[in-house]
Amino acid sequence: MNKNNRLQNALFYVVVVFISLVVLFPFLWMLSSSFKTQTDIIAWPPKLIFSPTLQNYAKVFGEQDFLKYFINSTVVGGLAVGLSLVIGLPAAYAISRFTQRRLALFILLARLMPGISFLMPWYIIASRLDLMDTYVALVLSHMLIALPIVVWIMSAYFNSIPVELEESAMVDGATRQYAFWAIILPMSGPGIITAVTLSFIFSWNNFMFSQVLSMEKTKTLPIAVYNFVSYAEVDWGGVMAAAVAIMAPAIILTMIFQKFVVKGLTMGAVKG
Amino acid sequence: MKKILASTVVLMSSLCLSATAFAQTKEIRVLLANHPYGELLKAAIPDFEKQSGIKVNFESLQEGQLTTKLTTEFATKSSSVDVFMTRPLQEGKMFNRNGWYEPLTTQDFSDYPKNVMSVAAAGSAPFLVPLVTEWQVLYYRKDLFQAAGVEVPKTFTELEAAAKKLNSDTVAGIASRGKGAAAVTQLSSYVYNFGGQYIDKGVAVFDSAPAVEAIRYYGKLLGSYGPKGVTSMSWENIMPLFQAGKVAMWTDASVFYGQIVDPAKTQVPAANFGIANLPAGPKASSPFLVTSWGIAVAKQSKNKELAFKFLDWATSKELAAKGMLSNITMARSSVWKDPKVLESVNPGLVATRAYAAENGNPLDRPYMSAVGEARDQIGELVIESINTKGESANLAAMAKDKVGRVNDLLKDSGEYGQP
Amino acid sequence: MHKPSFIEKNIRILFPLPAFLFIALLMIFPIVYTLALSFTSWNLTSGAPMRFIGLRNYGQILLEPRFVDAIVRTLTFTICAVVIEAVLGTAIAIILNRAFIGKSLAKLLLLLPLVSTPVAVGIIFNLFYDPTIGLANFALSSLGLPQGLWVSSAATVIPSLIIVDVWQWTPMITLIVLAGLAGLSEEPFEAARVDGATQWQVLRYVTIPMVMPVILTAVILRLIDALKTFDIIFAMTGGGPGYASETLNIMGFKYSFEYFRMGQASVILIALFFLVLLCSMGIMKLRSSSEN
Repeated sequence: MNKNNRLQNALFYVVVVFISLVVLFPFLWMLSSSFKTQTDIIAWPPKLIFSPTLQNYAKVFGEQDFLKYFINSTVVGGLAVGLSLVIGLPAAYAISRFTQRRLALFILLARLMPGISFLMPWYIIASRLDLMDTYVALVLSHMLIALPIVVWIMSAYFNSIPVELEESAMVDGATRQYAFWAIILPMSGPGIITAVTLSFIFSWNNFMFSQVLSMEKTKTLPIAVYNFVSYAEVDWGGVMAAAVAIMAPAIILTMIFQKFVVKGLTMGAVKG
Repeated sequence: MKKILASTVVLMSSLCLSATAFAQTKEIRVLLANHPYGELLKAAIPDFEKQSGIKVNFESLQEGQLTTKLTTEFATKSSSVDVFMTRPLQEGKMFNRNGWYEPLTTQDFSDYPKNVMSVAAAGSAPFLVPLVTEWQVLYYRKDLFQAAGVEVPKTFTELEAAAKKLNSDTVAGIASRGKGAAAVTQLSSYVYNFGGQYIDKGVAVFDSAPAVEAIRYYGKLLGSYGPKGVTSMSWENIMPLFQAGKVAMWTDASVFYGQIVDPAKTQVPAANFGIANLPAGPKASSPFLVTSWGIAVAKQSKNKELAFKFLDWATSKELAAKGMLSNITMARSSVWKDPKVLESVNPGLVATRAYAAENGNPLDRPYMSAVGEARDQIGELVIESINTKGESANLAAMAKDKVGRVNDLLKDSGEYGQP
Repeated sequence: MHKPSFIEKNIRILFPLPAFLFIALLMIFPIVYTLALSFTSWNLTSGAPMRFIGLRNYGQILLEPRFVDAIVRTLTFTICAVVIEAVLGTAIAIILNRAFIGKSLAKLLLLLPLVSTPVAVGIIFNLFYDPTIGLANFALSSLGLPQGLWVSSAATVIPSLIIVDVWQWTPMITLIVLAGLAGLSEEPFEAARVDGATQWQVLRYVTIPMVMPVILTAVILRLIDALKTFDIIFAMTGGGPGYASETLNIMGFKYSFEYFRMGQASVILIALFFLVLLCSMGIMKLRSSSEN
């Protein structure tokens, strides 16, 4: 019995390690390739041992101006998330406290609908208004990614805060908006962190909107990485270094806010 | 009080003066491609600004984005572009038909190959100045040829025999673009050499017997002796293979020579790479020689005089010589005879260019407005042919169907039957 | 008691108003605009003015075999990917649903694919799949198996793309189901054990039925996203070879931003829109009936 148990336990860990390896392997391969020369990458059989080089990173940040794209991605993501909080928090509060189901569904529509069905009209309007390749167009489009996440997560979060808190404040003569501002929001830190982290990551990773609406000036990182492939011949080392550079911030954010991210990703489903 | 008023008037008028002076600063907006020649211009623009006193606001874009941006700006009539780099074969037909190019009546075009100018000029006056030309060549590995005792092929029969002989488990006999739409340009010379055409007098004709035969031949070559997965390869996938020594021959545009021999990328010594003319087909030996990039003045430009000044500078002989020294195959014929330039240019490149300038076909794709869609259609034929090693029983019927579709596209834009 | 101010009286409208207007302006208006364009001949490349042509675009697109293929492909890709992810994801969640050393590290690892930039993921897998230098073929040949062409062949491109999707999104199902399992009450399990049920029986008759609603919700979320998959396909194959991996989303993109056929592109976009709408509604029905 005991022996059987130990065997089962060992088997369990083998399975866990196997799953982890499958998940991790592409990242490891990306990381190791980013330190290889082109010659080492296209060597057959694939080289596991090689002398690492930093030239790919030097190229990515030196020749390719990745820093600019990095800043663009940060600015676009930051503004989109910030503005989404400004208009999303009150909406989430209203949905939670006044059970505005239809509004919730309406905002959720933005999460469900394929981005490309609004992208073409945006593109036409943006070129007419001379908004192509501006932060305005990009931030607005990225807000459509961030806003539903903010509303979705925050309305669930507000649901978990007892109504009595505001009611007692209102009995004491505070206005509802004051109660929201001074009582509810200060208690919502964890929810807001979840919403901000998730919506920032999704904006950071977005490819389609920026591919159409941005050009040289406001190009974001995913486009830069994609262009890196089609720019010259496939320079795998450089591409892998670029991939590391783009994934690192999202992964670091995830590590710091692991609990929040898991919560944000799973909460909608578990709560139903 | 009067004093104050007077001084205010003086102040106001001086402000106005300076405002008009500001409005008079000469400025133009230029769109460049991030092609090596665009980069070269970018670096030289400060010189131009200094000598002309014109301020140049330039943007540098990827080729696809450049076309998209120009098309939407012109089509929605919101453009402030004065000068732009342009790909005549990709967008020239459409831009010209829509009247987006300013005719160039005062420029001298005698320094450019005649076949190239036949495309750059539709009707009366040319609408762009060619900057960069490219033509199809055969790159090959001298060492592998020697080891296998193979001569440089002069005809398609010899090419196939050489590919067969050089093909092994580790080295593909021959490579060329197989990725559908991207392959259409490289296929074109094969079609011409078999005696076919993509479009003749505004009608799609690539279902003709010679054209279909060419597509079969192309598919047989690549399907039997090409690298694995060739149907998803464009030049950017083939070049690393060639540099890694995994391909013995490669037919593609002449522009890649400089990159192929780049010592930082290649595992094969530069001396082992050779360049030759594309072998002759049963009917002709007419590789494409096309203007891959030109430069033009926008019709709606409000600063045409300044725009022309920029155009003349950007297409000058001096900059062309500079381009040659940076491994760019420039359009001007004179720089190909300049001894100083020739010192640093591969003789194989010079010889193949001389041949193509005489015998080349100035088109490498269906010349029409909806060229992207037409390329997708022809690309399907290429893939079908490669997948069946040229044996497909459907190919002729498919070609007929695709010709019908391309003709529909021509009819849609009113180009059907127009020379 | 103070007198309610204007804001307070209308707070139900004022609070959600900016968000409502934003969505209406950026989403509903464009959709209506797209609908209107779908009845016109507008084509940027022709330079001709916009003309009302009724249902002609619809006729042309519906008769286009490429469009029908794209629909079938979109559905195949989505259904295969989501079914594999649901089964695999649930299985992994059930395995991991116990205390063990390194559990929080394992959960962190599971998060990584979810937050990775899809374009970069696609590029990494392209290097894997490269027929000549890729690791995938090296692994196959080391095992003595024939090498494949992966995304380079029309026959294998869709399965190869599904593998990427499964790698990236199975962890999401796992995490959701894990959270669902953590929220279950102990009682039914104890009751089953008292009745002498085997581990398998507990799993089959207690655990899975109890987390089913959570699984279905996870599937809805995945399904909607899978139907809209764009980044990975665009970055890895651009819809090729030929049209072999062209889904509705990619086709719509090409018609709009490569061919500039705005009228016909609108028809494709509307079709995609309704496909997503229908699928979400269908599954929501399924879910509510499973709950009752």
